[in-house]
Amino acid sequence: MNTIVSELSMNDLNNKFFEIMQNEGNAEEAANFIYDSIFDDVTLGFMFEFHHGLKTGLTDLIEGEKEEEDGYKIVNSPECDVFGFSIMKKTPDSNCSCPNCERPVSATRFAPHLEKCMGMGRNSSRIASRRIASNSREPTSYAGLLSDDDDDADWAGGSLQSERRKRRIKNNNNRKPNKLHNGNNRNNGNQNSDSNDGSATYETMTANEKKNLLLQICGVVSEHTKKLCTRSTRCPQHTEEQRRALRNTVLEPSTPESQTIGLTAEEAGSPPDSSPSSSCSSSSRKRDRHRAVPKIKNKRERNMSPNGRE
Amino acid sequence: MTVNNTIAHQRLILSGDRERFKELLRRRLIECGWRDQVRMLCRDVVKENESNNVTFDMLVTRVTPRARALVPDTVKKELLQKIKTHLLTQKDQ
Repeated sequence: MNTIVSELSMNDLNNKFFEIMQNEGNAEEAANFIYDSIFDDVTLGFMFEFHHGLKTGLTDLIEGEKEEEDGYKIVNSPECDVFGFSIMKKTPDSNCSCPNCERPVSATRFAPHLEKCMGMGRNSSRIASRRIASNSREPTSYAGLLSDDDDDADWAGGSLQSERRKRRIKNNNNRKPNKLHNGNNRNNGNQNSDSNDGSATYETMTANEKKNLLLQICGVVSEHTKKLCTRSTRCPQHTEEQRRALRNTVLEPSTPESQTIGLTAEEAGSPPDSSPSSSCSSSSRKRDRHRAVPKIKNKRERNMSPNGRE
Repeated sequence: MTVNNTIAHQRLILSGDRERFKELLRRRLIECGWRDQVRMLCRDVVKENESNNVTFDMLVTRVTPRARALVPDTVKKELLQKIKTHLLTQKDQ
């Protein structure tokens, strides 16, 4: 039978087919048979696909390697973070003790701490000197303020930064006394008596301290916070007029003829009876002599001068 | 009866309509997620026999019966209906 069927011509096949299809039951059965055949084909196709992927490693590539769950489990305990590490912040051996205040300091914070504690470093010398100035009321406290100049030989050689800074301070001290020289001796006597004048924050200071402070910072009293502006004397936030007006109001009672900062600077440079300051003023006068020398050379000389002189 | 089926099948192949139906079924099975289910079955089989090599024949004999049962009724009915009407409309020409 099969052989006969296989030998059917196209015409015979068509005739036979139409003959079969006369019966709807036959059609139904044929449909089922065809469906099964088609389904097998499709299933085989998918299977081949999967098997191919499996054997060539394609499946692993697409789906990724299976992770070992244990290695990456999230740890849920109070002493540890999610990775199971301890959350103890510092190990004891990472602490250094500060040579100045004996406090244990984390190694990462050691340099900033030193800067604050010992008063070395970029900003700190100014901060430290101001703190010293505000803490002690005696005129001798003034020596601490000017230590930048006097103690150069001790540790100035270390950092270029602090040297540059000191030079700037020196420049301030040098330049200003030059302008007005007269009248400082006369006024020194009056300074301490008028310490209660001026703005709120200036009230608590003595005249010397005020002048000292105004030498180093802008000092303009803010309208909002009622605090002093602690930036440099050339701070961009306040104008020169504001600074001059403030210095006039704060210092005028004691020195009526002081119209410029220069005078106050010179006064600050020579308080009545403290030996370091007097030496400073003399040194500043020495420096004045060098002012005629061209600028670069002058700088270098000034740089060397503290060691050479003392 | 098998002769009748074979004749109908043969004619479907010759006319090229079998390929059409096959493609339709394939698309439907992918759409309804049957392929992914079968893939999971295959993976299970592979996992069970991790020690020894998985052959294609083993995969077919293990998976095909379960895969057949997983085919959604709607898909199967649609295909059967389409094939049957196709066969019957052929007759009218």
